Amino acid sequence: MELEEPEVTETTIACCDVNMPAGLLGFEHMKNYMLIAKPAEAPFRWLQVKGNPSLAFIVIEPCHIIPDYQPDIPQADVDFLDLTSPEDAAVYVIVTVTGRRQATANLKGPIVINRNTGLAKQVVIANAAQYSVQQALPVNGSAS
Amino acid sequence: MLILSRKSGESIVIDGRIHVKVMRVEGDTVKIGIEAPSDVPVHRREVYEEIQRNNQQALTRQSAELPKLPLPATAKPKRKSVSRS
Repeated sequence: MELEEPEVTETTIACCDVNMPAGLLGFEHMKNYMLIAKPAEAPFRWLQVKGNPSLAFIVIEPCHIIPDYQPDIPQADVDFLDLTSPEDAAVYVIVTVTGRRQATANLKGPIVINRNTGLAKQVVIANAAQYSVQQALPVNGSAS
Repeated sequence: MLILSRKSGESIVIDGRIHVKVMRVEGDTVKIGIEAPSDVPVHRREVYEEIQRNNQQALTRQSAELPKLPLPATAKPKRKSVSRS
């Protein structure tokens, strides 16, 4: 009988530091966050304000919302984040809970994180006009 | 705030590298052409304000449980991850 070693992948990381020197738009003073993944809550994650755990944003990888999401990240942001290849970047979008089982995601202003350094920025994508700031999250199967 | 009067076809240079040109004036709409290096992000101001408002709505003060949300169909939690690499 073989024992199954838990796979060490990006998804098993429970928590990592995210440093946003520019803050989030409207929250420029909050620069340090923790990205927290709880397996039971996947694919959602928490972007929690460091030093103030009661303040947090819910985030999700946009591939769960729109499979072909193609954010055009301005060169200035690529340079700022020191991204040398697309694989360096982890992209999350902020989720807003609008009702008991309803939520939207902001596809115009994703949070781009350099996986290697934790340096991050909320980027206003160059093709923002193609996407919604309040994209409804898809609902499973039939209405419940 | 610096206020300049420009006629259609005239332009402004900022920092020697950003050119803002009045392309056309139609009623109360001004069409503006902007030439800037790729390291200078240019956006309509509304986009920033929209994202800012959205961030404010998204901030949650519940550090406890995530609300029950309809999980995207592509993102059902895997019970068991088996790697065959």
